[in-house]
Amino acid sequence: MATRILFRRNKLMNIFSCRAQSTMSAFEIQHKTPLIKKTTPIPVALYGGRHAVTMLPGGGIGPELMSYVREVFKYAGAPVDFEVIDIDPSDESKQIEYAITSIKRNGVALKGNIETKSENTEVISRNVAIRNELDLYINVVHCKSFPGVPARQKDLDLMIIRQNTEGEYAMLEHESVDGVVESMKVVTETNSERVARYAFDFATRNGRKKVTTIHKANIMKLSDGLFLDTSRRIALEYPDIEHNDMIIDNCCMQLVSNPHQFDVMMMTNLYGSIVSNVACGLIGGAGLLSGRNYGDHYAIFEPGTRNTGTAIAGKNIANPIAMLSASVDMLEHLGHLQHANLIRGAMLKTISDDRIHTLDLGGTAKSTDVVQRVIDHILESDIRP
Amino acid sequence: MSLISRNISKILFQPCQITAARCIHSNVPPQNAAKSESTEREGNRIKCTLIPGDGVGPELVASVQALFKASGVPVDFESYFFSEVNPTLSANLEDVASSIERNRVCLKGILASPDFGYLGELQTLNMKLRNALDLYANVVHVKSLPGVKRRHDNIDCVIIREQTEGEYSALEHESVKGVVECLKIVTAKKSQRIAKFAFDYATKNKRKKVTAVHKANIMKLGDGLFLRSCEEMAKLYPTIEFEKMIVDNCTMQMVSNPQQFDVMVTPNLYGNIVDNLASGLVGGAGVVAGASYSANCVVFEPGARHTFSEAVGKSVANPTAMMLCAAKLLNHVNLPLYGQMIRDAVNKVLSDGKVRTKDLGGQSSTQEYTFAVIANLKPPQPLKSKC
Amino acid sequence: MSARLLKNVNFKLITNSRLYSSDVRKCTLIPGDGIGPEISAAVQKIFATATVPIEWESVDVTPVKGPDGKFGIPQAAIDSVNKNKIGLKGPLMTPVGKGHRSLNLALRKEFNLYANVRPCRSLEGFKTLYDQVNVVTIRENTEGEYSGIEHEIVDGVVQSIKLITEEASRRVAEFAFKYTIENNRKKVTAVHKANIMRMSDGLFLRCCREMAEKYKEVKFEEKYLDTVCLNMVQDPTQYDVLVMPNLYGDILSDMCAGLVGGLGLTPSGNIGLNGALFESVHGTAPDIANQDKANPTALLLSAVMMLRYMQLNKHADLIERACFDTIKEAKYLTGDLGGKAKCSEFTNEICSKIIAAS
Repeated sequence: MATRILFRRNKLMNIFSCRAQSTMSAFEIQHKTPLIKKTTPIPVALYGGRHAVTMLPGGGIGPELMSYVREVFKYAGAPVDFEVIDIDPSDESKQIEYAITSIKRNGVALKGNIETKSENTEVISRNVAIRNELDLYINVVHCKSFPGVPARQKDLDLMIIRQNTEGEYAMLEHESVDGVVESMKVVTETNSERVARYAFDFATRNGRKKVTTIHKANIMKLSDGLFLDTSRRIALEYPDIEHNDMIIDNCCMQLVSNPHQFDVMMMTNLYGSIVSNVACGLIGGAGLLSGRNYGDHYAIFEPGTRNTGTAIAGKNIANPIAMLSASVDMLEHLGHLQHANLIRGAMLKTISDDRIHTLDLGGTAKSTDVVQRVIDHILESDIRP
Repeated sequence: MSLISRNISKILFQPCQITAARCIHSNVPPQNAAKSESTEREGNRIKCTLIPGDGVGPELVASVQALFKASGVPVDFESYFFSEVNPTLSANLEDVASSIERNRVCLKGILASPDFGYLGELQTLNMKLRNALDLYANVVHVKSLPGVKRRHDNIDCVIIREQTEGEYSALEHESVKGVVECLKIVTAKKSQRIAKFAFDYATKNKRKKVTAVHKANIMKLGDGLFLRSCEEMAKLYPTIEFEKMIVDNCTMQMVSNPQQFDVMVTPNLYGNIVDNLASGLVGGAGVVAGASYSANCVVFEPGARHTFSEAVGKSVANPTAMMLCAAKLLNHVNLPLYGQMIRDAVNKVLSDGKVRTKDLGGQSSTQEYTFAVIANLKPPQPLKSKC
Repeated sequence: MSARLLKNVNFKLITNSRLYSSDVRKCTLIPGDGIGPEISAAVQKIFATATVPIEWESVDVTPVKGPDGKFGIPQAAIDSVNKNKIGLKGPLMTPVGKGHRSLNLALRKEFNLYANVRPCRSLEGFKTLYDQVNVVTIRENTEGEYSGIEHEIVDGVVQSIKLITEEASRRVAEFAFKYTIENNRKKVTAVHKANIMRMSDGLFLRCCREMAEKYKEVKFEEKYLDTVCLNMVQDPTQYDVLVMPNLYGDILSDMCAGLVGGLGLTPSGNIGLNGALFESVHGTAPDIANQDKANPTALLLSAVMMLRYMQLNKHADLIERACFDTIKEAKYLTGDLGGKAKCSEFTNEICSKIIAAS
């Protein structure tokens, strides 16, 4: 069944792409159909050394966190201009389209979590929509312990690389008979290969030793089997990197008992969601980690665990570190290394040395206290008077 | 807000740091981290390349320097004498270009371009500098000044001009005696780039409309390509209104109803025409500031390019344009409060109307005007932006 | 003004015999599209009232399919202009799309119209932001940027050629100086961008300088295009006759028209080797066509230019005076000038002024 539908989907896509090619200009193909091979690169939004970046504050604590980011950037003198796009959660589609267009233009975005209020099956999650539309096939969460933060595990340094556009999140669900719902899980060789290649390239570049593929191929022999096979095949091309695989349930157990065995981990969509949340919990909670989403042409930076935090919105107790480290990731991606290091250093000092912690880390500080201390550190550590 | 007020004193010393930036969006992390680290500047003040230019340039630059000194701006100038009319004394193009590349910002007077190069060269020095740095976008913000009475008021438009190709490609040849061909080159890549620049500028500065100026009814291929690029880019910006206008109609509208324009994007030559026209409407070459952008550097220069060489030494030139350029420069390098301070002082002097240079109907000399601006410098109010 | 009158008197004396000669000259009339027929009728009526010795030969230039399969001007029209050597043209609609060449362009090629002359003069009675504008733009009309030579070298790179020839440059420069002398003007300004386009505009400039040597009695100056743009909007009185290559002329002439109140008030003449074509350069205004609302001034002033070209100066002055007076009195102004009068009322007023004067 699954293969048949997959086949049909591919066929549909082929038809679509054929049609698209005949009616669209090369320019439109590039920007409107990211699945089709791109020819001409879009001009970069970099003018006089300043980057334009789309900012999607999203819902819940998003807007607060974004204002902290802007504040910190101002003091750090980061040469980035934000194009802020507020998305109204009740509005159906217009603004999300605009947001996607904006990211296509700027190439880079900093994003909070966007709520999808509707539980209607027709309405797909906006976050997923953005990822699919921009073909952001990789999500990377870097789990690194902050010294000084009370956590179960110390000195963790994990790299979680997750397929971001297909798998269980393909959103092909239907109720074939009353009371029987089928949900499709789609795994394609192309996407699996892209993820594997990214993981091994990443390990090579960053001097990592080991890549672990997380799967459930003992049960889902075809789908996860394909993913596993692909990663094994790619692993052969990187003899310097050790490769092993682990079943997801075992992996979760190992994570909480002996997480230091892991280095770089790659997995399909749903497992990635699970593993990254587990790993976050290990080092001290959702408020610390940032996630990066990469496609061939675009990149989105967001807090690592995708929660809106509506419950604590407006109370000045949200942890700003996750969004700040997302913004630091963004600066690194844009090549502004000096600013990135400046802010990251200030953040580390605040969290690890000064122990200014918000409620979620067991502290009593307000969000603004943390931000203020970060800014103070930026101003102090500055080499200029 | 509280955050800002606490840090007012510190923000004044807030320097700018610009690092090497990569030019592609991809998932490849920077590999040349060490290299880009080494190109960063050191020291605690901002360095800025300074090219006084020809004509009254040096006088205007002197006023700006006096102004910077008086307001204590932490900017050091790296001055180069650069000139085409005086080639023996002029600095090397390579030296100047590498200095600008290193400093990322430059304040520049106007270079005179003689009608014929001394070596029979077709490219002017200005063009060479632009090509060397790939300064492709020229932005001129034309705005009616407070207190300066002109025929039109409430003009507020931004003219964005492609300045590395088009008519200014310096490809000319005499195929037969008495028949000269001059090539105008338009490429899709550069057209898209400038169109995107214009729309991004409009987005960033919360502007409503972009007007593409062209002559595609006659030059169907060349200007047609430019126009098509703009149209396609416009699709990516659904919130910004896009319109096209033929250049001759545009000049006519400009003199009769200039308020209708917002952001205009033009190829090279038309941009030059519209720039000057619009500058004329608000008070002439002495009051309009402009800037040329490349991906990594910005050169700030007066918007209408006239050396005004007949006024050299007479101390009658209007330094407003140069001062506004300097204010923009400060904004760009993250010293917005200094920029605001200078802009406020200039506006104050202009709206008081007591001290004015000759071109605005006054009797004051360049120095008197500069002193008036300095006397009006006030510590800036905190920025109104929300935190 | 008085000098001008005096000069006209002189002229009259010289051309006396010509004026009172009984030979009626034929003149081709191309009414055009949209409001064209109305305003052409108005001009014809005024000319009849002033008893101008001209017989109109009205032709239609709606494109027809030629023997080569391309759409073009009907042969009859071409023959008529070739025979009469002089024509008056209303606004033409340029069909959008491929396959049609712009008719204006076709006519220009056909009659070798090398110079375009547009006097822009502030009209008394019609207030614009600029007064005392009195400039004439003379534009080279056959080559330059509008040579139409363009090609795509590789995908996404288009090259268009701006062609400047010595012959054409000298021709238009000479015309400019002659025009200046004939119309009793003082100064010729060559507009160029030779600091950037050193060879092509340099050649144009050189030709102008040569002519300036030849006509020493006329003051000559050279200005950069951008300088002219800048100064024109600040102080238009410093310019008199401007001579320039094609594109610059196109832009500057429209801009000057903008200074005095738009294209509805500026006449235009095209001088060529095979004759001369005078036209109104405004659009066809299809929205007000057949409503008796159009303003015939531009076409009328073009016709006046034509009369001067034919050395029928007496009639020219008579009609021009009547037209200016009518606008100055501001009793019968059409909608575009802020009045409420109909085209026919405006025309009748001019006619009655002509009758009163003659």
